[in-house]
Amino acid sequence: MATNSPPSIHHERPPLYRDVTVVKWVVQIVALLLTLGALWFLANQAGDNLRASNVPTDYDFLSVNPGIDLSSGIDTDPDTGGRALWVGMVNTLRMAVAGILVATILGVIVGLARLSNNWLLKKIGTVFVETLRNVPLLVQILFYGAVFASLDRVTADVGPINGWLHISNKGLSMPRAHIADGFYQWAVVLLIGLVVANFLRKRRIAQQDATGEETYPILSAFGLMVVVAIIGWFIHPIFGFIGNIFEALSSLVSSVPETVLQLVIGALCVGSSAYWIRGFLNSRRTPAGLAKLTDDDYFRMIFAAVGGVIGAVFFLVLWPGLSSWMINSASDLFEVLGNKFGNGRSGRPLDVDLPNIVQTGKFPNYGPSGLNFSIGFAAVFFGVVFYTAAFVAEIVRGGILAVPKGQTEAAASLGLRRSTALRRVIIPQALRVMLPPLGNQYLNLTKNTSLAIAVGYSDIVQVGQTVYNQTGKTLPVVSIWMFFYLSCSLSISVIVNFFNVRMKIVER
Amino acid sequence: MQEEDPISVALKEEQVSPNEAPRLSVLQWFRTNLFSNWANAILTILGTLAAFLMLRGVLNFVFSENREWVAVRTNLRALMTLSYPESQYVRVWVALGFVVGLAGLSAGIWSNWGGLPLRRLATWFMGVGGLIALCVVVREPSVIIGTDGKVVRTIEGSPQRESFMDAMVDRSGWWIAAVILLAVGAVLWSRFSSPVRRRGPRAELSITSVVFVGIGLVILSLWVVPYGHYAFVDGTYIAESGTTVAFSTQMPWTVMWVILGLTFLVGRFLRSSRYVGMAKTGSNLLWLICPFALFWVVLRDPALDYGHVMSTDLPMGLAFGLLGGAVLWLLTRSDIGEIGRITATALLVFAVFNWVAAFFGWYPMLQKARISFLLLALAALLAPNFIGDTAKRRQLVLGWLGVMALVHYLATMINTPSTVDLQSDEFLGGLGLTLFVAVIVVILSFPLGVLLALGRTSKFPIFRMLSTSYIEVIRGVPLISVLIFFSVMVPLFLPDGMELAELAAVLTGYTLFSAAYLAENVRGGLQSITKGQYEAADAIGLTAAQRTGFIVLPQALTVSIPQLVGQVISSFKETSLLAIIGLFDFLRVANSVIPAQSEFMGVKREGILVVAMIYFFFNFIISKYSQRLERRVGLGER
Amino acid sequence: MNIDDATAAANDRLADRDDMIVCVDVDKFYGDFQALKGVTATIKEGEVAVVCGPSGSGKSTWIRCINRLEVHQGGDIVVDGIELTNDLRNIEKIRSEVGMVFQQFNLFPHLTVLDNITLAPIWVRKKPRGEAESMARALLERVGIPEQAEKFPGQLSGGQQQRVAIARSLAMEPRVMLFDEPTSALDPEMIKEVLDVMKELAHSGITMMVVTHEMGFAREVADRIMFMEGGEIVEVGTPEHFFTNPTEDRTKLFLSQIL
Repeated sequence: MATNSPPSIHHERPPLYRDVTVVKWVVQIVALLLTLGALWFLANQAGDNLRASNVPTDYDFLSVNPGIDLSSGIDTDPDTGGRALWVGMVNTLRMAVAGILVATILGVIVGLARLSNNWLLKKIGTVFVETLRNVPLLVQILFYGAVFASLDRVTADVGPINGWLHISNKGLSMPRAHIADGFYQWAVVLLIGLVVANFLRKRRIAQQDATGEETYPILSAFGLMVVVAIIGWFIHPIFGFIGNIFEALSSLVSSVPETVLQLVIGALCVGSSAYWIRGFLNSRRTPAGLAKLTDDDYFRMIFAAVGGVIGAVFFLVLWPGLSSWMINSASDLFEVLGNKFGNGRSGRPLDVDLPNIVQTGKFPNYGPSGLNFSIGFAAVFFGVVFYTAAFVAEIVRGGILAVPKGQTEAAASLGLRRSTALRRVIIPQALRVMLPPLGNQYLNLTKNTSLAIAVGYSDIVQVGQTVYNQTGKTLPVVSIWMFFYLSCSLSISVIVNFFNVRMKIVER
Repeated sequence: MQEEDPISVALKEEQVSPNEAPRLSVLQWFRTNLFSNWANAILTILGTLAAFLMLRGVLNFVFSENREWVAVRTNLRALMTLSYPESQYVRVWVALGFVVGLAGLSAGIWSNWGGLPLRRLATWFMGVGGLIALCVVVREPSVIIGTDGKVVRTIEGSPQRESFMDAMVDRSGWWIAAVILLAVGAVLWSRFSSPVRRRGPRAELSITSVVFVGIGLVILSLWVVPYGHYAFVDGTYIAESGTTVAFSTQMPWTVMWVILGLTFLVGRFLRSSRYVGMAKTGSNLLWLICPFALFWVVLRDPALDYGHVMSTDLPMGLAFGLLGGAVLWLLTRSDIGEIGRITATALLVFAVFNWVAAFFGWYPMLQKARISFLLLALAALLAPNFIGDTAKRRQLVLGWLGVMALVHYLATMINTPSTVDLQSDEFLGGLGLTLFVAVIVVILSFPLGVLLALGRTSKFPIFRMLSTSYIEVIRGVPLISVLIFFSVMVPLFLPDGMELAELAAVLTGYTLFSAAYLAENVRGGLQSITKGQYEAADAIGLTAAQRTGFIVLPQALTVSIPQLVGQVISSFKETSLLAIIGLFDFLRVANSVIPAQSEFMGVKREGILVVAMIYFFFNFIISKYSQRLERRVGLGER
Repeated sequence: MNIDDATAAANDRLADRDDMIVCVDVDKFYGDFQALKGVTATIKEGEVAVVCGPSGSGKSTWIRCINRLEVHQGGDIVVDGIELTNDLRNIEKIRSEVGMVFQQFNLFPHLTVLDNITLAPIWVRKKPRGEAESMARALLERVGIPEQAEKFPGQLSGGQQQRVAIARSLAMEPRVMLFDEPTSALDPEMIKEVLDVMKELAHSGITMMVVTHEMGFAREVADRIMFMEGGEIVEVGTPEHFFTNPTEDRTKLFLSQIL
């Protein structure tokens, strides 16, 4: 289009050390290699030092009797190290779930109290929040522990309701509901019921939308669930056949040859990097054909390809045991499931045991039949609940304050009742704002349960410490801790994200 | 622009504009605030009941005949510094005096505290007076102590209590205090409550003078009020009731008070002089350096071997300072060109190689030299920024000399054994250790956290990946597991011949942990910087480092001040975990040391409660200060 | 096509000058979307070129490619004889020769006006502080706000901020000034004060490339006007040609919409 022909440009490639793209990627790759090198070096060093001090870093202790007693949990005298750690995990999760529930309720109440127009409630809420969040959790836990430790001793007739509820310096003992033989089959019935109930709920909603009549979708679905649960309580043994399916699956899985699985894993590595590159190229494709790829793009693709190949080599050559491990554990899993669902189990799904007091040696103590909470549990529980509730209260208050006043006014101008406005307008918006920080607090609570170590409640950290004090296998135990807590964090953030996404859709 | 966290915005706004209620009579106030409708009235009654029960519980707990507060009074020094030797205790006072002086100086230089309206003071007086009166009534009557000094008990074994009227008469001292406070408050209130009768400047007192006089009154009471003297002196238990506290407590605190006043006046003077800028920078630098210097030099008192200092330490420091300075001077010549970059890279390679060699034990070299080479390489990388006129070049060289002096001085001090001999590994414990750990962690984790945040927001995918995975992994696990990991595992990671004391290992763990959280806070600030700022910086030709240092970070850090202060508070709270991993911080003293003394077997709750109050005091002040700061920054933006 | 004549006329006037900005077949993609489709143009030394066109036509993208705020993916850009490539040194050189003024001013809010202007001269051009400050004050005088030197950008009006931004760019003593819609974010009463400064600049003989909708400004000071649409230069010509006798239908439509 231009008459003045463009001046001829003398192209030259800049020297490598001045080329933006080259410098950028070289710096990054060097940093990556340095990090990996440092990690490799440290690991090596640790390995050498461990060998020198005769402490092997294997996981044998998981299947050896550790010879320890736990203060509380589903099994206070575990027969393997793995079982002990499992008890610790259950204790941690139990504490986390209970703590999250109670802290949320308490936090919401306090947060609303701080928002009320009642001067006294507002002040009480403020004192609660300011005091509890400015004192370290550990100090609180130790204090509660010291207070509970000064309760009365256990006697044969300790109250407040002997035979049902016992409180003493050994903690709290109350009736225990637990899973019995027929539970898994019953769970299948419940699952089917859930599907049907959901279907009913949707149909009712559709009905309500069509006719405008109130059809109570949630209520009727819930009612259906109750009916199904009651019926299932009696007919659940007919689902015993599921056990046979699992057993068949187990033998099917164990017949898969290792090499096949190995090749599949390798192919997956290479395939996923190829898939990524293909997707990448597609994203660079324009209606006018493939866009000109920059040096940066080439670097990315090379990086992905090399990564895929390295992954494949790693699984095929360096860690071939993975496939047999996967096959064995999958087959074991199915076998266990087959056993759980098997025909032989047809008792009641759930059972309740009352607490009792037994004489062990010189002193009376709580027997194993009830649900026992040690004072360690109580101290940690009160600690995390109060501490977290203070933060939750602030989140609730902030979340509701964050909803603009105009929203309330707009709802009122539409003639909505105050309760309807709260339910349909204010709370959905406040929730959307509150969810991410709430998730953070739940995560903190879960991590904070690790302070149980200070009062001897057998959570995963305390059990782990006991185990490595006995066996000297610190590194494996620490790796189990990390794995456990990371999975907890991940699942909580997945759950919170799930609700968060739903909230956002509701908003639109 | 990333939208700011709506919750903190909402809370902030509520704080900035507390809805100014119209003035009401007492009756109207009660009706609108407590009994506006039926539900509200019920809530008020229930709330009153709950508050009453809580207050009564707390009072009965605190004043119970079973409380042994004397255990805490006896062990106050142990709570503060554990078993720092009596003969060298003057070091603690010197250190404290330095901090107090610095605080006074800074308060004088920066002071912008404004005034305290007398009306508010009057409300406080009346509030405290009313609370005291309420407490006196609510508290259970005391038990009766028999002539044998034991509690008189009824036949069932429960302690016998005096009658209500007797209790009220017994507590007449409290009554008098309450009445005086109420009366003073009422007088002040009636004179200054209504804006009409307010008279000019006297309606406000300056907060600084109120604080200063308040502290002075407390210290005066040490000389006057017979608190009693309880202590362990050389292992023997002394309990004298009816006397004032020991002279060795009265005198130092009085000196502290004088120092505070004098330095405040100096600060005031500097503020109005033309050296105010220099004074601000100077006081900031002193705050940064003082924890290191006080801890390793004053409190630890290194037993210096002057022969070694003269033959090795001093020459080495001088050599690095002068030669390094000369190299930097050359590297900032305006005609240096490519040679500068090549030299800096060569220095860096050499410095890194030194560390690698240290790990594999190829050749011996003093740790100090390794650190110095690394610092020199970093300074050389920075050098191109200082090319230009002589003033700028001198800046770089002088800065280098200062850093070298500090590093070599501290390294010499740390490497020398201490003259303070104690039974335990650490020479300091109690609150001193807690504060030291908190301060060092905050100072050290800051640069690391900023680097991680920059990495996480970087355009470079691998940096982003590395920082993100580090941050997420650390944030996913509890602090206690990180601390255990470091105190147990770090010795295993170190090569032969390298040792890291327990405290250093734990500090490393704390710092790495806190840096991950700090990085997230800084990231929030970084995300609030608009793209336009980056583009403008690029367009005027700044390099990436200059853009980050001059444009991005100053803005990002200002935005994240509230979160950073929050992080400081959590770091301070988390120092309580030292008690679990075997260091003697003051929680450990309260929880394990005091209950193990034969005089105070099993006395735990009192000590822990005091620890809780100290933590609360610090955290509450910091958070209130941060709210003030936030409001000021927020107003500055508008 | 009649563009040839117009371009030739403009070229005649600028024929004896050196090329300052040369773009040949410049392409730019955002994912699937092609923002620049082979843009080719030459801007001579001392020329004032105004780029106009509907929003989304790629004019901002083009001007931002010239100092590599965006990276062009095809074609060549040469500024004052320096080719814009991956070469770090070339990028540094071009950025210190090309000043840019943004729609949103992009002043540094935490620095005073004086520090905003002296930052780059001190740290990039390595000038002594005293010299940089006296130059900054002279520049503030030139843009008409000498009394605002110690204030922060947040305390200035939009028009004043934009004039500080111009002074900040001029402090680097650039050979080319790029303006990316400098008046679009301003209230009407402030537009004039900024345009006056720009006119004064235009008469001082600096090379300018201006993306703007201010047709009055274009008519008064532009040497050439380029009309862009859909990532292409549709028409190039002198202001007389452009406003009185546009050849392309798309240009006519555009003019009828904004005039």
